[in-house]
Amino acid sequence: MSLLARETRARLLLRAVLLVAPVLAVLAARPEDVPNGWFLALTLVLSVGFAAMPESALGTMCLGVVVFWWMLAAGDGVPVGAVPAALLLLAAHVSSVLLSYGPSKLPVGPALSGRWLRRAAGVAVAAPLVWLVAVAVDGQPEPPGVWVSGLVCAVVVCIVAAIAVTVREDEA
Amino acid sequence: MTGRWRPTPALARAVVVAALAVVMSVIGAAPAVMVLGAPFILLACFGLLHRPDSEPVISAVLDHRWLHEGQGTTSRLAIRDGEDVEHVARLMAQTPYVALHPSTGLAAGLADALPTIEIGPRRWGRRVLGEELVCLTTPWAGYRWGPVRLPGDSLRVLPHTRRFDSRTDTPRPVGLVGVNRSPRLGAGVEFADIRPFRPGDRLRRISWRVSVRSRELHVTTSPAEEDSGVLLVVDALGDHGRSSGLDGTASSLDQGVRAAAAVAEHHIRTGDRVGLRIVGGDGGLLGYGAGRRHLRSVFDLLAGVRAGELPDGIESRLQLRVTGGSVVFVFSPMLGQTIVTATASLVQRGLPVVVVDTLPPGVSPRVPDGVDPRLADLAWRMRKLERDQVLAGLAALGCPVIAWRGAGTLDDVLRRLSRRRSVPQVVTR
Repeated sequence: MSLLARETRARLLLRAVLLVAPVLAVLAARPEDVPNGWFLALTLVLSVGFAAMPESALGTMCLGVVVFWWMLAAGDGVPVGAVPAALLLLAAHVSSVLLSYGPSKLPVGPALSGRWLRRAAGVAVAAPLVWLVAVAVDGQPEPPGVWVSGLVCAVVVCIVAAIAVTVREDEA
Repeated sequence: MTGRWRPTPALARAVVVAALAVVMSVIGAAPAVMVLGAPFILLACFGLLHRPDSEPVISAVLDHRWLHEGQGTTSRLAIRDGEDVEHVARLMAQTPYVALHPSTGLAAGLADALPTIEIGPRRWGRRVLGEELVCLTTPWAGYRWGPVRLPGDSLRVLPHTRRFDSRTDTPRPVGLVGVNRSPRLGAGVEFADIRPFRPGDRLRRISWRVSVRSRELHVTTSPAEEDSGVLLVVDALGDHGRSSGLDGTASSLDQGVRAAAAVAEHHIRTGDRVGLRIVGGDGGLLGYGAGRRHLRSVFDLLAGVRAGELPDGIESRLQLRVTGGSVVFVFSPMLGQTIVTATASLVQRGLPVVVVDTLPPGVSPRVPDGVDPRLADLAWRMRKLERDQVLAGLAALGCPVIAWRGAGTLDDVLRRLSRRRSVPQVVTR
């Protein structure tokens, strides 16, 4: 408790995001797919650990559990809830990054926060784009090897986008 | 100071979540999972693409290495080969008597505006700043360098001198050129007397008004203006009381060093020659001198004062090496027999000696472990009674004993000493 009292307001807010976002991402599935209590409790426990130790492997496990639940819950459907769930996971990740730039007493600087907000906003666009593509191809017969091709395409697109962004940043 | 770039937990998390999402979406034929993983694929790619290949070299540099108490300086980071660096975080360990800003010693910022830490020493002396930890991060938080340790830099903190100014002449000006009125007549500016003209007098000294009235040439005379020799003796045989830095309580050594620095600055500014003798600790002797450079030497010697007993051989035959015609200021709590004896012998030689009592009021000694506090208190009270007797004895010998009060502390004493200089005295040799 005394550790929390020494935290700045910004850091407390980021820890709150770490605590809440994974749980909300699980709950963002369709109402009929609301997970069992034990699964929600597991996510909550992991997110508490994530909030307490943002750089620990608990964070990876917490996000991995959410992704696993979505694989079980969504099946071959493309629910719109996947987009807010993706944004929540991204918010948790960015919060943990901001918290891990230094010791726990280090305040989160506005310049760094602003930079990561812009980055998160740019990266977040990928979620609705992928969702739109998924909705567009949903229900159509799957050509053989479509998932593998899709995977390759995704990787290529990511690399091309990354190179483009890097070049832009260097020029700036 | 060098280190090694390592992937951050954030990059590992992004890579793992992205891979999990891709694998699960393919295995489970769940396109929704790809929606969740898409931002992480980008984050992982950006992090990996900024894989650094440089070898940064970091050093911390202080803007100033010589400061007075209460002044401040800035510690700046210099990074060589830091083109891959986006963010820098540094943590400086706390050091006694050194105030940091930010007070936690933590500072961070982007590489285009490297974080600085402001440093304000609160006590004179040689201060070695605390060790520093520095951590560098690449863009997209993909790789981290460090934290690496930087050794603490050292500072020379000179004593604070602001609060002393005296308007009184120094007694016994027997030097060459200065601002103190000499007992002998010379080419000064202040009026001393009018007397009949003698061969050799300067014509511009003729007082025409008196000459016309008396029908005989008269000239005005004035005292010569000369410098004085001032010897400062600082008692470092012990440090009594607790030092809390410039704004807090002062120990006896704090009082002594600061008062000596203030008196030295005042006299050197007025053109006097100042010498310094440290009694105790590592000792120290600085001959008479004048000018800013000499003042710097005085401050430097004072900044290096450490409390400590004299070696056995020296204790019994302490010589302060005072030249005739000097004024001696002894800054001491007068608790050591050696310094008392040395002071008394100077007074008996007929030298003008002023004792500045540096014992803080209400001070009590530290009680060692295993000693009854009541016994220690009793011993201290007896020691103070002895000290009162010593001070009374010095006063009876004609040596003024005063407490340091800052500006004007010495005015009255110096005025009385100046008046006394014209009175014939019996000198014990």
